[in-house]
Amino acid sequence: MTDNKIYFKFDGKKYGGNKGDTIASALLRNNVKLVGRSFKYHRPRGIYTCGIEEPNALVQIINEHNEPNVRATVKKIYEGMVVKSQNRWPSLKRDFGSVNNLLSPIFSAGFYYKTFMGPKGFWKNLYEPLIRRTAGLGKPPREFKSKSTHLHHNVDILIVGGGLSGLLAAKKLAGTNKDVLLIERENELGGILKNSNKVKSINDQEALEWLEKTERLLKNSANIKILKNTTVTTYNYSNHLTAIEDRLVGIEPDNKKPELILHKIRTENTILANGHIERFLSFRNNDLPGVMLAASFEKYVQRYGVVPDNNPVIFTNNSSTFSLLKLLIDRNCMPKAYVDVRDVKKIERETLDLLEAHNIPFYPKSEVEGCDGNNEIKKISLRTKKNKIIKIKASMLCVSGGINPDIHLFTQSKGLVKWDEKILTFKPEKSFQKTITLGSVSGNFIFKKIIDEVSQKLNFIDGANDLDLKIEVNGSEEFNIKEIWETKNNKKSLWSKSFIDLQNDVTTKDLTQAIKEGFDRIEHLKRFTTNSMGTDQGKISSINALGIVSKLLKKSVSEVGTTTYRPPYNPVSFSAIAGRSTYEFYDPERKTPIHPWHLKHNAVFEDVGQWKRPWYYKKFENETMNEAVQRESKQVRESAGILDGSTLGKIEIKGKDALEFVNMMYTNSFTKMSPMSAKYALMLGEDGMVKDDGIVCKINDNHFITTTTSGGAANVLSHMEEFAQTEWPNLNVYLNSITEQFATFNISGPKSRIILSRVFNNIDFSNHKFPYMTFNTFDYLNYKVRILRASFTGEKGYEIYVPPKYALTLWERIFYYSRDVDLVPYGTETMHLLRAEKGYIIVGQETDGTVTPLDLNLNWMIGKKKKDFIGKRSLTRSDIIKGDRKQLVGLIPLDKSYGIEEGQHVIEDKNIPSQIDKPIKMLGHVTSSYFSPTLNHSIAMALIKGGNRKIGSQIYVSTSNMNVIPVEVVKPNFLDPENKRLLS
Amino acid sequence: MLLIKCPYCGERDQSEFTNGGEAHVTRPKNPELETDRGWAEYVFIRSNPKGIYYERWVHSHGCKKWFNAVRNTSTDEILLSYKIGETPPPIKKFQNRLKSPSGEPDVGSGNFAVKKP
Repeated sequence: MTDNKIYFKFDGKKYGGNKGDTIASALLRNNVKLVGRSFKYHRPRGIYTCGIEEPNALVQIINEHNEPNVRATVKKIYEGMVVKSQNRWPSLKRDFGSVNNLLSPIFSAGFYYKTFMGPKGFWKNLYEPLIRRTAGLGKPPREFKSKSTHLHHNVDILIVGGGLSGLLAAKKLAGTNKDVLLIERENELGGILKNSNKVKSINDQEALEWLEKTERLLKNSANIKILKNTTVTTYNYSNHLTAIEDRLVGIEPDNKKPELILHKIRTENTILANGHIERFLSFRNNDLPGVMLAASFEKYVQRYGVVPDNNPVIFTNNSSTFSLLKLLIDRNCMPKAYVDVRDVKKIERETLDLLEAHNIPFYPKSEVEGCDGNNEIKKISLRTKKNKIIKIKASMLCVSGGINPDIHLFTQSKGLVKWDEKILTFKPEKSFQKTITLGSVSGNFIFKKIIDEVSQKLNFIDGANDLDLKIEVNGSEEFNIKEIWETKNNKKSLWSKSFIDLQNDVTTKDLTQAIKEGFDRIEHLKRFTTNSMGTDQGKISSINALGIVSKLLKKSVSEVGTTTYRPPYNPVSFSAIAGRSTYEFYDPERKTPIHPWHLKHNAVFEDVGQWKRPWYYKKFENETMNEAVQRESKQVRESAGILDGSTLGKIEIKGKDALEFVNMMYTNSFTKMSPMSAKYALMLGEDGMVKDDGIVCKINDNHFITTTTSGGAANVLSHMEEFAQTEWPNLNVYLNSITEQFATFNISGPKSRIILSRVFNNIDFSNHKFPYMTFNTFDYLNYKVRILRASFTGEKGYEIYVPPKYALTLWERIFYYSRDVDLVPYGTETMHLLRAEKGYIIVGQETDGTVTPLDLNLNWMIGKKKKDFIGKRSLTRSDIIKGDRKQLVGLIPLDKSYGIEEGQHVIEDKNIPSQIDKPIKMLGHVTSSYFSPTLNHSIAMALIKGGNRKIGSQIYVSTSNMNVIPVEVVKPNFLDPENKRLLS
Repeated sequence: MLLIKCPYCGERDQSEFTNGGEAHVTRPKNPELETDRGWAEYVFIRSNPKGIYYERWVHSHGCKKWFNAVRNTSTDEILLSYKIGETPPPIKKFQNRLKSPSGEPDVGSGNFAVKKP
């Protein structure tokens, strides 16, 4: 192509736009006015604004990222872009859903809440899916492909907004020793200088000439950094702001490059120069395509060179529309009419002169009653001074309902705003943080005063430049406005609508009705009507809603107050928030040194915290988990098994006071314990509840090594650190996590001793030399191993601690030496079954933070002679010693083959009535349940009320198919209660 | 996000820290002599004021040191941070600035965005 046009598709049709065009400006260039259907009533909607505040023109971009709800007024086109309108079927012009508009008299505020109440189950199965299909916006992408990243900034001064006042502030700070970051939302600096012809000249230079010079000056200032295409979305405490930079403006997405950058900015001072947003007015059919805000119309002409309509009608209640009038006349586009709510005496001289000179139909003290047309405006109906209705043929209406300082960020910063009766809007009153507002965001709409304002507010900065400037403007300097929020409707039809929130389809009638129903507080009213709850957050309309409500309640707007402005300022893509933390970078995976071996031997993995642990090993292709677990556990009991326990948390405790510290942290007593021996130990919280368990190895009184549960290692270390640092800083004790310094293998089973004697042939593993719960360190090849005799299976067992670099070789060596012995690798599920047969608990399965050692019948683990340990005093609280607390028991079903389900309720009564009037008395719940291949029957553990007293009795366990099974309560130790296997 | 001053490392982002609840809750010297009520006061009961609050923080993604800080809970301003074992100034040294008639600071509390007429 040679015509420099950028071609894109909208709803299948090809259009050409200019470089720098947004979707909206390009569509207007092609005279397309209908761009979407509304949320609830499926009414035709057009382009209402020319920026971030757009409520209507939301479109879907079809590409790899499939972006929904893109504001056509912001997104720039690129070659080959595919754009689709949203919320319509089968097509934009003939939309089936518009039947909702016919039904609209019944779709008033609170309709869904009131209507879809019953019968039971209908909401989930019928109403919700149906509503979701008809109401709604675009379609989200199926797969997350977008790449974004995060950047941090620490600056002295952040300037939000590169418009006139932002530029003046930056100019004042150029060359100073302050680090300045200037953030501009658009792709070019300039703001009002680019968007309107309001400013005639600065220092006798054309506004755009001055802009160019100033930008050059700022670019050459080493202390100023400028970010364009970047929107500040959040203003947090401690002057921390976040901004999203769009890196793909006018460029097709590329999966190799970041699409968005989330800037996290920490600054000493924040200068808010983020300007203002024009508001609309409510009148009949104020949503018809063809209605546009006046300043937006002006922006399309000035910035994009698109005249959306040659002869629009202008409707205003304030002085700001003069510049649009002048611009149109300068371009020889004569407005069809100029309608001003104000009395002719209040209207500026310049406006009156211009209207008169060009013979433009002028209606002072009049208002737009409504407009009519099918898919766009055909006629505009006016109510004149004398209350007469006049119809004007026109296809576009430019509306200005006043100007709102864009206080969103300012209130996010916790600043206080105040209603200004003169300009009829909220403006910043008092900053909470080091926040300075400049220009129109501070409520200063008078250009000549901006220089003074900037000088005055920034003079505290050392070395700030003087601003010796003179601004000339087009039209009157003063801002004048008359209060009006809604015009009088001439049609009393049930179907006539005057909107207050275009995106959520909220009408002014909904506001009236909500107040009638008692929702007269603004926060309630907002939630009941969904006013200003769309993705645009009512940027052009929320103040209007306050105005209407204040009139209905006969209160001042101040008394009505505003709803809370919450971050983000505008919709933020999840891609930006996620940054690089996606897929494999989202959460680290921790793998043990034996991981490659597990993979080779068909391990199925289980996530334990961040660890990947073998759950079970598939011996053959179709082996189920149940089959594998039965096989593995039987083999451990009959021969020997090996478990990769490297994930076990390990903490080293050293120091002169290590013994005293360990005595305080665990329930057991370690004082009389001989060096090189170990103890199974319990850790409690100060509330007496079991927090963790593990094995404490005592090397000597100044040196201990403890193990923790795999998932609890970090918490246990920080729990210990907390007490060491805050409660007993006087104790000489040092803590260190050594989890990853040692790989750990647990070998257990009757043949474990034979295997180890072969691998470590210089060590005597006999009971006499190496008794249960002792450990030692041995030289092996060219490194050291620590071997501990302990067991979590109830079989004779050993734990081997080995430096990770030698771990895999040693693991393979063990298998090599057990060629003729049946050594089985087993996973966590088999480990759970084996320990359940012995009634050993798992913290987090048998306990849930409400279980004490007494409830678990682990009284023997409490050092009775110890004066104190964490949680000791709580164990004698009246509630803890009550006999009917839930206690750990074993359950065996009377029909021994029947499996009990984990998590099921334990109940006393065998009858569950089909109709339940009263709650059934619950005794507790099942914590673990397995089928034991060694015992050849089902076993379960449960926490039940007064469990110890119920041993020997018969109770019931519910099932998921509304049945009960009778079970016998037994002591939770099903296999080898005398520990013959363990100690052999 | 708050900017918190670790007494050992200096000012860092809040995301590096973990809050540890009320500060200066001393563990009784002789727990066995405490009544059930007295012990429960130590284990469960915290002051939870609106206003000046002494609390513990740990620089969990940094030096891992515990320290104390004074925070205004209604405005989230952190007014001071100090090492464990140091004695902080009394509450009255910290002004609950900008009081409104309701006793609430008129900015920063999040409850009143609009200045009362």
